[in-house]
Amino acid sequence: MTGKRGIKTLIGSFFRKRGQSGAMASNASFLVSLAFVAALFCVGVSWLLWRFPYHLFSDEVYNIVVVNAPESFVEFNEQTQPYRDQRAADYGDPKDVIHNFSNIYAFQYSYDGYGWTEFIYKETDALYDFVSFSKWMHQNDAYLTVVFPKDFDEQVNNRFNGLTDEKPEILTYYRADSLEYASMKNGFIEEYLAYYQSDIRADFGFKITSMTDSQLEEKPLVTSENNYGLKAIRESLSRTFIPILLFIILLYSSMSIGTNVIAGQKERGTFTGILLTPLPRYAIILGYLGGIVLKTLIPAISVATFSALLMGCFDIGAILALYFYIIVLEIFIASITILISVINDTVISAQTAFLPIFLTLVAVCVTCIQTVSERDDFYMFLPVHGQFFGIGDVLMSKPHVPGLLISSLATLILSAVIILITVRLLHSERYTVSIDSVDAKAVKRRLEGGKPTLWETVNKKYDDANFIFNEAIYPLVILSVYQLLAVIPVVVSYMRKAEYSAYIQGLADVTTVEEVMNKTFEVFSIFFKDPLFLSLMTLGYALIILTYFIHAKRIFKLKGFKDMAAVCGYPLGNIKHILSHYCLGFLFGFLMMTCTVAIMFFTGQITFSGFTLSFSGIGVFIFNLLMWFPQGASEEVMFRGYMIRSFNRRFKPVVGIIFSSLVFSAFHSLNNGYTPLASVNLVLIAVLFALIYLLTGDIWMTSAMHTAWNLSQGNIYGLQVSGNDAANSVVTAIYDKNASSLITGGAFGPEGGLATTAVATVCLIIVTILLVVKTRKAKKLS
Amino acid sequence: MIELIDVHKSYTKDKETIKGVSFEVHEGEIFGLLGPNGAGKTTLMQMIATLMKPTSGQILIDGLSADKNLLDIHRKIGFLTNEIKLDPMSTPNALFEFFAKLYDIPDSELRDRRDESFARFGISPFADKRFKELSTGMKQKISIAISLIHNPPVIIFDEPTNGLDILTSKQVTDYLKELRTKGHAIILSTHIFSVAEELCDNIAMLIDGSIVAQGTVDELIALAKVNTFEEAFFNIYVAHHKE
Repeated sequence: MTGKRGIKTLIGSFFRKRGQSGAMASNASFLVSLAFVAALFCVGVSWLLWRFPYHLFSDEVYNIVVVNAPESFVEFNEQTQPYRDQRAADYGDPKDVIHNFSNIYAFQYSYDGYGWTEFIYKETDALYDFVSFSKWMHQNDAYLTVVFPKDFDEQVNNRFNGLTDEKPEILTYYRADSLEYASMKNGFIEEYLAYYQSDIRADFGFKITSMTDSQLEEKPLVTSENNYGLKAIRESLSRTFIPILLFIILLYSSMSIGTNVIAGQKERGTFTGILLTPLPRYAIILGYLGGIVLKTLIPAISVATFSALLMGCFDIGAILALYFYIIVLEIFIASITILISVINDTVISAQTAFLPIFLTLVAVCVTCIQTVSERDDFYMFLPVHGQFFGIGDVLMSKPHVPGLLISSLATLILSAVIILITVRLLHSERYTVSIDSVDAKAVKRRLEGGKPTLWETVNKKYDDANFIFNEAIYPLVILSVYQLLAVIPVVVSYMRKAEYSAYIQGLADVTTVEEVMNKTFEVFSIFFKDPLFLSLMTLGYALIILTYFIHAKRIFKLKGFKDMAAVCGYPLGNIKHILSHYCLGFLFGFLMMTCTVAIMFFTGQITFSGFTLSFSGIGVFIFNLLMWFPQGASEEVMFRGYMIRSFNRRFKPVVGIIFSSLVFSAFHSLNNGYTPLASVNLVLIAVLFALIYLLTGDIWMTSAMHTAWNLSQGNIYGLQVSGNDAANSVVTAIYDKNASSLITGGAFGPEGGLATTAVATVCLIIVTILLVVKTRKAKKLS
Repeated sequence: MIELIDVHKSYTKDKETIKGVSFEVHEGEIFGLLGPNGAGKTTLMQMIATLMKPTSGQILIDGLSADKNLLDIHRKIGFLTNEIKLDPMSTPNALFEFFAKLYDIPDSELRDRRDESFARFGISPFADKRFKELSTGMKQKISIAISLIHNPPVIIFDEPTNGLDILTSKQVTDYLKELRTKGHAIILSTHIFSVAEELCDNIAMLIDGSIVAQGTVDELIALAKVNTFEEAFFNIYVAHHKE
């Protein structure tokens, strides 16, 4: 068989001394690797700094912090104390009765270290004082904090006397850095707390033993401080750092090898020779896939073996399962790499195209870190998630066999689909021939020259009704449809949570429209911390852009995708041009926001807290960051790229600029804390962006500015973005007591304040001057 | 062996690069494709080598069409063009072995073929040097050796003597003549008159995507009513090129 021998030869070429894939490392790949090494180093150092000084050898975590303990609870504890003492005397060494949750009067819990549970009583006025809870747990070797309301006994009395139906709320916070703490917490709630409740009921003459009399809120609490102890170090290494390290090794080496294979060979002109051999296309793909997988596995397997032994996992079966996870994951990553490699013509472009996928997969890893303490078994069956958790489980010597099988099957099916698509693409001459003839160059030029000529001839024939629909109503419809679609699944999942009932109860007190709006924004600020919501919004914004492309196709009667993008303000083709505009725009947007913040800071309106990005919040933070990219881009397409351009078909440019700016401003009028000054500011910013569009001829720069503005506002400086609270930020701005909302913009965020007015006006003047100079130059030239 | 029937190719809707080309090349014949830069020679050659599909029309190699028998055609053709390059980090030996395996040449034959082919072009002393360290002429000879590794009956050479010195050039033309006597069908594109004049049994002049004249050297000279082949080319070019 030609195929078999060919595949072997291609795989062999990866391992030849001066083989086909002879390393041609580009600067880009070097920089990417450098950045990752630096990032890993930072993560490692911060991890050590956080955890090392504390309780390195203390694993004896078995106490419980009780906050605002009601008299009845203290009494109950005192009553049960003799039983516990008796049991302690009987057994002497608690080692003999570990994990005994059954006998409530003599319960004790331990986590590897051994000891009898003690209650530590604390008082606080703040029910959500996580920092103190975490500190107390850390100081007292506790795994659980139980928070009672201050008037718990009174509330219980009222309830049993029929004065109210409301159940008093007990909050529990347990350490989330190990699955064991969660089960210890369950034992405490199901045994001890339930008996305590029945004890209260008994006082009133009832005899029911179940947790029905209080609203119980259980929350994992992960903070930088509470992650300590040798066992916890092993747990966080095996469940977080080693899987991430393996993912990065697999991703990075597949990227550098995979993009070098087909895209690199196209660049060097050696691919055509292989295409001309009587080797079937599937054999070419499989050969390269095999090569990438085998070559990448060398570092991955060695790191995996080393880590498994380091983590004390000496079981052959577990190590084999680990290898299996890695091989399956690598097949998946390699097939994506090959697909990207086939689509691109140069190593650089392939690596650029791989970057979003790289980031997405890393983001998936980050979501895995967050859910590790209370993950659903469902995740074990998903591709990527399954491998991430699976690797962690194996390293903790607790392999999850059904998860291994099902997630591997799902991953392999997905890979097979990608490979089939790739083979199909390799039959198309678009991805195989390096078109170099004069005509093809002309085609390329035509596509690159898709810069919108904004001063197009005015077309009076364009029908009025169509015009109003296409330019004024369409954006509204699109935006509302997609945002609605993004909200529905989140609302459904929210309805299953306890906060929901509290929210509905809160609605009963609402009387004015303003309060309804405030309530709505309250919910949205919760949603903005939900990765599901953020990813759906991201998708929605991306779909808005796509819909606009298709809309432009219909209106302007276009054919190719590149033309569609160009009409919407995104001329494709010249990568350097795009990158320079986008990066500059990003810088400008960031600088504008920084100036605004600086004005507020130096006029004493705000101060800053220190570094507020928590380790556990990084996942949401990344999702939030990712959302701003399509968010900025979609608004730019709607209000600048497409709207101004299509207005120019009928009117002078100034009409389009004014109309689009007014619509843009009106669009934000429903947001929280909207003021007349905010509307003026939004018009100013819209005009500024429109002029930049005229100046650069595309909306790459304004999209980046939009994104950078929102991103730095919400997620770097921690301010409100057009009335929306951002979830996590690097630092958090704190408004001064005497801050004037005229300058800061109040609840709408800086966009509603004079600081923004000042910055926008200065920028507007600069851009207007630039535009005038450019127009004069152009006139002189012509 | 090679048959083109009304082949059209356009990259864009509004412009045709190849505007209906038909010709035939038989066993033991060298067919020359002569034309200025941008006439569409390379596009035509790439289509014959199955790298591109014609927009309309048919290309048959030994009666086979690329739509149905792509891999069979690959076994029958040897394609040489400047755009196909060899891995600069590899050595002639390794390259030969690599491609021999991809063409499924049995290991027993591999060594003999390599020795014979390397001896003919004097590659043997350089067989273990890196490809990128070799001279232009040597690189071209290795490329030829590798493109004919599977002894194909149909040979498609795009500008094979481009940039070579006279000695190497002669080696190549001599080899092509030898292949002709062995019964290979050879199609050759060039813009060098002397090569076309010396080698080709049949010449087609390609201008702006269509064949404007076809015949032997003498026929073309007669057609243009001049004395030399070079003059004939200029006359025909001026007559047909519209700008």
